[in-house]
Amino acid sequence: MTPKHDTLIEVKDLSVHFPIKTRKLFRTEVQMLRAVDGVSFDIKRGETVGLVGESGSGKTTVGRAILRAIDPTDGEVIFHRKNKADIDLAHASETELRKVRSKMNMAFREGGINVHNLAGDLLRAFRPEMSLVFQDPYSSLNPRMTVRDIIAEPLVASGKFKDRAKIDARVREIAARCKLNLEHLRRFPHAFSGGQRQRICIARALVSKPKFVVCDESVSALDVSIQAEIVNLLKDLQDEMGVSFLFIAHDLSVVAQMSHRVAVLYVGKFVEYAPTEKLFFAPKHPYTHALLSAIPTADPDADYDPIRLKGEIPNPLAAPSGCRFHTRCPFAKDRCKTEVPAWRELDTDHFVACHFAEDFNFERHQKASGSGPKGAV
Amino acid sequence: MPKMLTVENLSISFRTSEGVITPVHDVTFGVEAGRTLGLVGESGSGKSISTKALMQLLPGNASLSGETRMTYTDKAGKEIALGRLKTGSKELRRIRGGEIGMIFQEPMASFSPVYTIGNQMMEAIMLHRGLKKRAAREYAIEMLNKVGISNASARVDQYPHELSGGMRQRAMIALTLSAGPALLIADEPTTALDVTIQAQVLDLMRDLQRDLGMGMIFITHDLGVIAQIADDVAVMYLGTIVERGPARDVIRNPQHPYTQGLLDAIPSVEHLHDRLKPVPGDIPSPTARPTGCPFHTRCAQAIAGTCDVTAPTEVSTIPGRAVRCWLHSDKDRNAA
Repeated sequence: MTPKHDTLIEVKDLSVHFPIKTRKLFRTEVQMLRAVDGVSFDIKRGETVGLVGESGSGKTTVGRAILRAIDPTDGEVIFHRKNKADIDLAHASETELRKVRSKMNMAFREGGINVHNLAGDLLRAFRPEMSLVFQDPYSSLNPRMTVRDIIAEPLVASGKFKDRAKIDARVREIAARCKLNLEHLRRFPHAFSGGQRQRICIARALVSKPKFVVCDESVSALDVSIQAEIVNLLKDLQDEMGVSFLFIAHDLSVVAQMSHRVAVLYVGKFVEYAPTEKLFFAPKHPYTHALLSAIPTADPDADYDPIRLKGEIPNPLAAPSGCRFHTRCPFAKDRCKTEVPAWRELDTDHFVACHFAEDFNFERHQKASGSGPKGAV
Repeated sequence: MPKMLTVENLSISFRTSEGVITPVHDVTFGVEAGRTLGLVGESGSGKSISTKALMQLLPGNASLSGETRMTYTDKAGKEIALGRLKTGSKELRRIRGGEIGMIFQEPMASFSPVYTIGNQMMEAIMLHRGLKKRAAREYAIEMLNKVGISNASARVDQYPHELSGGMRQRAMIALTLSAGPALLIADEPTTALDVTIQAQVLDLMRDLQRDLGMGMIFITHDLGVIAQIADDVAVMYLGTIVERGPARDVIRNPQHPYTQGLLDAIPSVEHLHDRLKPVPGDIPSPTARPTGCPFHTRCAQAIAGTCDVTAPTEVSTIPGRAVRCWLHSDKDRNAA
């Protein structure tokens, strides 16, 4: 838990808009779906940044846009490299990307997505520094490749490794670190359980020693007894390798365990971004507060009294004016309906987008470690 | 309170190309009117198929063992042996929906996409409540209102795809409840929903249960949800109920090592810096069910020569609770 305090990735005003076409009788109407709208944050070396939000809030889109698996509409994604010039991923070689767009779609359809194959030469040379772990460990492994080949693929695709023995050595090293049985490397993915498959996915993501990995709902599909093991594994690997994670999940308690800092997304915009402890114990945005209050805890005596948000999550095609949360916010005032709240640093490292953040005191008490229902046995 | 449903020695086998597998082994539970039984377990533990057996919704290659007894007491007080009902019989159709309602995890898959919400609700209402078309429509709107769907008189004519996920799940609840069941089986009804919407749905189900006095079986893998909604809980592992009892007691003072492990593995937002404690090992595949106690391969307290050889029987260590574990059976024996 000691992140080095130099920045690896800087995201500035990142926006991703998708055109949505609806056929009308004589014309086609195009609406812009603002999946991600002006998001700014940074990720330090060796740090895990958690990204939470309800479905449709744009979590996955942020992750993919950073990796350039989706083209951002606007904004910059700056990757700071040691001893090399910084690079803006959002604007890296447009022509190259256009050429490979068809390949990219195919890769997605096949399910066995490999980000290293997604883009052109420039990004390919660079991609080994970034990687992605997906939600579903079943569909993201090619059933016709052996585990060894799956894990080796990023190395082969990068074109830097020609020597089979070297690749093998690297595959065995990372497989051992991910606690995979080395005798199983010749088997095919179907022989493995969900937890083991996810370990294969992690080994594949880390084999090229990336600086940055996006974990998109990587533990959500796993059962709790297995999930804990994968969370611990990711933390250990981070300590050993100094890799940074963008950890995307809708399960707040897993994010709390994994992350150094957490950002909360609501309908494509950040509402709050703060160090984990601040966000979970002294949130400043009413939405964060409502989310936290809605987590059911496995303590039958805890007073579970979730804040009842009225209404539904707005359709991002018709995002509300002003503050996007005003339609459901219990504290909304007239100003919230018209004026978009500024993204401001309320306290050191504690960012929030709410006009009235200073007025709220949502503090919760952190329990001493080991107390509570779990210690009751 | 009299039990409205008792299930004894339920075992379900499937004939597959790899031989006969038995994903549910000798399961016993009961539900009282007005109370909620939580069925907890990880994927493949048999929680869903155990309840599907009640409604005879199992696929054709499934068979129940001879010792299985499933008795349901209907609204009129008549005892019905659920396992004996003939497929397609009038009695079974009356039970399905009218007496025992079921809510599934994925509401998109359980609604027909080609009929409006109102159409599908009216079908159930006309069948189970004997109302005419116009009255059934009124009733459907009333139910949609009750589950908190705004503008219900317009929503009733919409198709399932026009509703958001949370709304669809609430419409599913309205549909199930409009048939007026005495027992509600909810299979992971909130798993696909976001936390704020989950809180809404849990609230709604609790209120409706209180108002209507229904018995409820709530299937979930989330012990947090169980702690909030269930009165009683049964913890399943590989098709066996390893521990059951009042929810509060089981969570406060778990007796089976699996229940303990499951509770320890839950990440908590209260303790940020504790390292998570996983249950070691992987869940065995149902085709390779371990001999003896199904949990012995992952249990830190397994007794060699006992746990891996003979399956423990259910013992009651504390009144009202039951656990299937040699650790407790031994204590019992020593005390006796």
